Amino acid sequence: MSEDYKSMWENLGLDLAAHDALLEVLGKGYQDIYLAQKNRPEGMGYFDFVMSEIHGLRIKELMDEKAAGRKVIGSFCVFVPEEIVRATDATLVGLCTGADFAMEEVERLLPRNTCSLIKSAFGFNLAKVCPYMECSDMIVGENTCDGKKKSYEILNDLVPNLYVMDLPQVKSAEGKALLKAEYLRFKEAVEKLTGITIDADRLKKGTKMVNNKRKAIHRLSNLRKANPAPISGLDALLANQVFFYDDPVRFTDSVNKVCDELEARIEKKEGVVPKATPRILISGCPMAVPNWKLPWIIETAGAVIVGEESCVGERGTRNLTDDSGNTLDELMEAVVDRYFKVDCAIFTPNPDRLDHIVEMVEKYQADGVIHYGLQFCQPYLMEAMPVEKALEAKNIPTLRIDTDYSMEDVGQLRTRVEAFIELIK
Amino acid sequence: MALRPKNISLFERLRENSQLEFEKMKEAGIKVVGLYCIFAPKELVRASGAIPVGLCGKNQSPLSDAETVLPVNLCPLIKSSFGYAITDTCDYFGFSDFLIGETTCDGKKKMFELLKRIKPLFLMHLPPTSDGDRSLNYWVEEIVRLKDFLETQTGTKITEKELKHQIKLHNNKRILLKEIVSLCTEYPVPISGLDMMLVMECKGFSAELEDYVNALQELAHELKVIKRKGRSVCSPEAPRILLTGCPIGKGSEKVLRLIEECGGIVTCQENCTGIKSFDRLVDEDGDPYRSIASRYLKIPCSCMTPNQGRIDLLGRLVEDFKIQGVVDLTWHCCHTYNVESYLIKEFLEKEYQIPLLHIETDYSLTDTGQLKTRIEAFLEMLY
Repeated sequence: MSEDYKSMWENLGLDLAAHDALLEVLGKGYQDIYLAQKNRPEGMGYFDFVMSEIHGLRIKELMDEKAAGRKVIGSFCVFVPEEIVRATDATLVGLCTGADFAMEEVERLLPRNTCSLIKSAFGFNLAKVCPYMECSDMIVGENTCDGKKKSYEILNDLVPNLYVMDLPQVKSAEGKALLKAEYLRFKEAVEKLTGITIDADRLKKGTKMVNNKRKAIHRLSNLRKANPAPISGLDALLANQVFFYDDPVRFTDSVNKVCDELEARIEKKEGVVPKATPRILISGCPMAVPNWKLPWIIETAGAVIVGEESCVGERGTRNLTDDSGNTLDELMEAVVDRYFKVDCAIFTPNPDRLDHIVEMVEKYQADGVIHYGLQFCQPYLMEAMPVEKALEAKNIPTLRIDTDYSMEDVGQLRTRVEAFIELIK
Repeated sequence: MALRPKNISLFERLRENSQLEFEKMKEAGIKVVGLYCIFAPKELVRASGAIPVGLCGKNQSPLSDAETVLPVNLCPLIKSSFGYAITDTCDYFGFSDFLIGETTCDGKKKMFELLKRIKPLFLMHLPPTSDGDRSLNYWVEEIVRLKDFLETQTGTKITEKELKHQIKLHNNKRILLKEIVSLCTEYPVPISGLDMMLVMECKGFSAELEDYVNALQELAHELKVIKRKGRSVCSPEAPRILLTGCPIGKGSEKVLRLIEECGGIVTCQENCTGIKSFDRLVDEDGDPYRSIASRYLKIPCSCMTPNQGRIDLLGRLVEDFKIQGVVDLTWHCCHTYNVESYLIKEFLEKEYQIPLLHIETDYSLTDTGQLKTRIEAFLEMLY
């Protein structure tokens, strides 16, 4: 990468040596996992470029936006309403949480048996290797699970600009009122940060922008129903991951371009894999860049992933926000309605999630479900067994996997995944 | 420890007779309500004519059954509670007509989804933070919702008069417990931590509140006499330890036992079994529902974020009890206490120069040797 970035990273306070090491690992992983795939849509070239510049050009763009007076807000979760952020011309970015880094230092602050995702966020911060975190004007934490909720108390001492949002745990009228009150409080905080007052026009514009991004992903998801599958699960996951980083308008265009290409493939009855390839639905915890371990194992074991029931996937993107309202109140209410539907396992009970998994199995003609739980993520691990039982009662083969970000269990996982694929063939 | 107050036998008897008492209650048609957590307001349950009982979750035995349904990486308390329920091996669970659960931690919250398939369960929704009017209002609504539920289940209308009466009785119990623990603030110490745990835990399964309160009165009297005579369960040099963290009880007292076997004296137990559960009184004037909500919401559980209340309480207790060392017990995979331990350690070291030993363990006895070595080394440092 060019010297320009070096000075930018230095100015952001990154540890250059550690950051170089990270980029090297990331680059190699990308090469081995992504570029080694065959028969990829040409449009994925854009995403390859995004990934190669994920700490370079994209950060430079954000720095340019900051120089022009716009703000950058970092988030860890799909409950942070992007509509509100975009309404102030600010940018919402997902923060780095997909790889182990500086674990020794992290475990001085957090218990060893905390999930990889939380530990990763701390590792990137402590090692000073996440330019997104460093360039954020505000970092938003959200009280979802126990691990995150309590970790933010400690993160608060590490970063100068943490804003914590409360979330309900029950989908009751009181729960919704709590979410609404929190979104109004967040709106005020964003207005204060940006100096921009959100009116109906601004919120409508922000909502449309985010909806367009979601619609492009919906179009991509719909094309994955085709058999043979026109795109690998890894590539589709990448699009879902880049959703959190990229400029929304450019992202929308790029996903649509890939979709045009996929439509042509489907027309010609072509696929990325042969028609008989077993089709897998992944369900469970989110997979942030560069956490590609399990999809990589699945797709190199002879199956293709046709959907992700995940925050980085359909759970995060499936619902649009109603943008038909004309007053600020109506539009805010629509934002609350939309996010209150997210069927995260922190809610009790959470029956919509199971319904959605079944619906996805049917929609994408999946032959089996692989439930992906991050070790020590209690909400998803607790749902895993009931989900497995319910799916098997419907004769949907299910494999439950609990893992973390390390590569130590790759051999073991591969054996289990291969056996599962063999079974559903 | 040679010295043992003879009135401890009152509590042993309460425990032994407890099942019989509940059987009698059941025969008389009185409803029994199973509780899992100190956030459930007992005065409200009693005011409905029902009897609250703390349910078992302190034993290793039903864990393997629980693990057929629950993840292994879950705290033993949740697994034990659930295991007792599905194996039908806890008499109190059997006696319970219905249960009250709370959305404290992720593990319990999700476990209750499965438990309610076995028995009717009323789930109280806790706000994630105890600060501010919004949280209080939210919690007041939950208390009122529970009142409605209790009235429906018991067929008894809860009157303000009866509720205020129960508040008074429960406050009296709390005042007595506070009086008893305050006898341990300095040498001579008239009761061991292990016996104190039994005394405190007994409040959970005494069918008649009056019997329990009477026993407390007898004990308080005896302990004062012991103290006046200058007798003590420990030597003047024994390091005074505060035990904090996850709840303990008979069957899961191994850390407390080890501290005292190794020569320390646990003079103060801040956990849910201990002072956290009776430190605050319910305001006896004003609207009883709001007073109850306000008191219970201030319980400084690690499920709250931030949890400044626990820091404040610990600061007060280490001063009052002239504490030399703090042992913070985390049950394996209890995220909230586990993460909070870092903040507690930092606070105690910075503000009081008091060392903290953080122990993460489960109900099994496999790590006893290792724990003993760590506890001995910790106590050695305090002499």
